[in-house]
Order: sequence, then structure tokens, then C-alpha cells
Amino acid sequence: MEIAYYPGCSLHASSELYDIQNKMVFRQLGLELKELDDWNCCGATSASKTDEFLSIALPARNLGIADASGLSDIVIPCSSCYSRMLVSQKRLAEDPSLRAVINAELARKVEGKIRILSILEVLAPRAKSGELGEKVKRKLEGLRPACYYGCLLTRFPSDISVPDDVENPQGMENVCTALGAKPLEWGYKTDCCGASAVVNDADQSLSLMYKIMKDAVARGANCFVTTCPMCQMNLDAYQDRVGEKYGIGARLPVYFLTELVGLAMGIGPGEMQIDRHFVDAVGLLKELKLL
Amino acid sequence: MSSPVLEFKPEQASLLLREVMERSGQNLLGCYQCRRCAAGCPVGEESGLTPDRLIRLILLGEREEALNNLLVWKCLACYTCGTRCPNNIQTARITEALKQMSKEAHIKPLVPSVGAFHDAFAKSVSHLGRVHELEFMALYEFKIAADRARRGEWKAIVGEMKEQARLGLTMMKKKRMHMGLEKVKGLSEVKHIYKKAKEKGR
Ligand code: SF4
Ligand code: SF4
Repeated sequence: MEIAYYPGCSLHASSELYDIQNKMVFRQLGLELKELDDWNCCGATSASKTDEFLSIALPARNLGIADASGLSDIVIPCSSCYSRMLVSQKRLAEDPSLRAVINAELARKVEGKIRILSILEVLAPRAKSGELGEKVKRKLEGLRPACYYGCLLTRFPSDISVPDDVENPQGMENVCTALGAKPLEWGYKTDCCGASAVVNDADQSLSLMYKIMKDAVARGANCFVTTCPMCQMNLDAYQDRVGEKYGIGARLPVYFLTELVGLAMGIGPGEMQIDRHFVDAVGLLKELKLL
Repeated sequence: MSSPVLEFKPEQASLLLREVMERSGQNLLGCYQCRRCAAGCPVGEESGLTPDRLIRLILLGEREEALNNLLVWKCLACYTCGTRCPNNIQTARITEALKQMSKEAHIKPLVPSVGAFHDAFAKSVSHLGRVHELEFMALYEFKIAADRARRGEWKAIVGEMKEQARLGLTMMKKKRMHMGLEKVKGLSEVKHIYKKAKEKGR
């Protein structure tokens, strides 16, 4: 089956490994990712903080391209892109005059018919149906992930229905369990890591990540799992700084969910470029004899 | 924040309230000060102001305080407050509106780096249609270094450079730094969208 795919800027830059893994893992699930032709940046949180019109119109150009692809679903791995595209689609459905103004600028018009999915919305139902479990070749025994959702998978700035519990989502835990890992219960799975504040308001962001780290370590997690490239980057690239500042000695690798699915299905760590994490992500797998 | 004694100013109150309600699309009048939002706001403590207090300032017509406080600049758009609010009030939409209003009123941001960051990001997208991490960071770092130099904050500049260099080196080592530029073919469409945004903002 073909499914449209919007990688977004970070998967074409610092999180390229996530892009590579998504394509590989989805292929093994029988899903061919069709990257949107000539997509543009969704504007992320910055557009909404500087200009309301931009924050709706930038994602709209991508939605027009997606509608023109003729495919029924689009998967968007980055939580921020996912959120902005959903918000734009909803707003344009409710406001035909704004839609007309924006469509006038676009070669491929927004029709509003494509269904927007996160990585989790593709994987979680397959874990539930047992399909994922059947494809597991190597159970991820010994892995105790703290599943980290961050903000934008379950919370939206407008009324958008969420397919999971808003305060205590379970989708990622269910996927991990299907892979043979033992995800743990913890208190910070939907807390904010600060996102871009790590650059523009660093102390604030570091203190938020400290709370997240502290709880994960105290509960006995040996890694984090996430689907958002921003959350991944923050927890991974800044973990040393958080640890140094707040005296936490432990370092937890921060896996992308697809990476774990791939490993369990027998894809090699080299192919998935797992060595490109900041906190060593290969050592733990060797230690647990998963490689 | 050391708030002066709050006074109700009916004239200003209705003006300010109407503007914020229109821009944010949020019904501030629905707020009954239950403070569920306050309990979950990750920056409430550091800002010295929580969403409920900000709404109260607006209801009372305290324009100056409402446009110029730490919550407006530190809000992370995490949407915790709005998800928990029994009246569906999304304060992140309110802080967005206030940020834009304070920019239009030429008020200096209390956390200048936040304003510089989002401006640099939006600018970077307008160049090629996609964000190029290096270009964008260069735009941003240059802007805040220039601001700090103007204020003589040399220590802060050096500290920032050290941190960025440390991160940059690790990113190179992990092959997570990309030099290539990606340009959208339909860039003229993106430019038109920006032009339209500018016209609308007027
Ligand atoms: S949760 Fe909603 S109603 Fe309660 S104080 Fe906050 S904004 Fe007001
Ligand atoms: S969206 Fe902003 S105001 Fe609301 S809880 Fe998050 S940081 Fe606080």
C-alpha cells in the first residue's frame, strides 16, 4: 500500500537517520512511503508565534500537494509538523473564506480530504491487531524504555480529537510491548522538554529536561523512546549538559520508535545508522545481547 | 513579577479584551479562575505569572502588564493549560496574540532571544521554502550577539559561542550537521504566501 509522507526539514537535516529508518521499517510493514513532491517547511511553532496567516498558509501548500497526490493517508513523523498540518486542515475546513484566499495562491488547492497520521497512529493499531508481533524476529528483552510523547502528539491548540488518553497515553507502550520490551510507567511522558527554548531560553529548557531525566532514571528506565525528532534531539544532544548541571550520572540512549521496530524485525543497526545518536545507543543493545 | 495594585478600568478593559479575544480566538470571559491551568504550566514558576493571572490582567484592562511580562515570552506552546482548562481556553493562543501585539507596539521583548529566534526561523523559511539549520542558526546567533554587544554583555556572548561550538562539534562527529541547501521549486508560491501575510498584517 502506498502512503503519502511528509518528512519535514529536520528529517532532511540533523535527523536524517530517522528518515532512513522510517522508509525501511514501513517497507517491511508493506507500506511504501511516497514523499510529497516539492514540500515546504510547515513554519513550525515559530510561524504561529510571529504571524497567524503564515502559520495556516505554509502547511496549506503541503496539504494541497498531498490532496493532489490522490492518496488517502499521509504520515508525518515530526510532532510539530503533524500538529501544524492538522491545525491548518481543521482551520481551513471551518473557514471557507480563508481557504479561498489561500487557495488563490496555490497551484495545487487544498481540498481537505487527506487523512493526517502520526507514526504512532500507523504503528499502534498494528501492535493491537497482532500484526507487529508476528513480524518480530528478535524480542527486545531487557529493554526498559520510558516512552516519551512530549507535547504535540496529544495536545493541540484547537479542538482536535486525540486517539489516545491525553494525560496517560499508551500507544507507544503497546508498540514496545509487542516488540518484547518492558516499557515502564512514569510521570513525565507528556511533559514539555522545552523544544526550541533549549536554544533561546536554555536554563528553562534544561530544568524541564532535568525533571524528565530524573523521573526516568529513578523508575529504572534504561532508555527513552520517542517519535518526535525535536524531542529526540533535545533529550539526546543536551543530556550531557543536563547531567553535568544537575548531577545525574546516568546516560540513557534516546531511540526513535521506528528504530526499535526495525531492530525487532531484524534490520541491522548499521543500515538504520543507529551510531548517529549523541548518547551511545549501540552499547546498551550489545549489553542486552540484542545485537 | 511585582504587580501594582490592580484597578478595574472599564474603557481600557473592553478595548484590550476585545482585541485579545479577536486575535486569539479565545473566550477569556469564560475563565472562572479555577487555576487548573496554573498547576500544569511548566514555566509558571519562573515567569512569576500563570495563565489565569495573565487572563485576569487582560480582564482588568492592564494593557502594559499584559503586553510586557515573562509568561508572554517564556510560554512554550505546550498546550497543557488549554487541554486541562474546563472552559477550553488555550492560553498559548493568547500569548501568541500578545507577542504580536507587543511587537506592533514596539515594546522590547523581555526575553529578546525568544523573539529573535522565531523571527530568524520565519525569515529562513522565506529564503528557500525549507529551513536550513545552519543558515537559520547563523541568522539567530548573529542577531542575539549584536543585541548583546549593544548592551555590552560580552560574557554572555562568549558563553553562547562556547556552548554552540560544543554542540556543533558533536553534531559534526555524529554526522548530524548538513551543509547542503534544499530549495523548494515552487518558491514563488511560498514568497506569495509571505507577501499576503505582510499585507494582512498591515
Ligand atoms: S483553567 Fe481555564 S478557567 Fe481555570 S483558571 Fe485557567 S484559564 Fe481560567
Ligand atoms: S502553553 Fe504556555 S501558558 Fe500554557 S501551560 Fe504551556 S507554557 Fe504555560
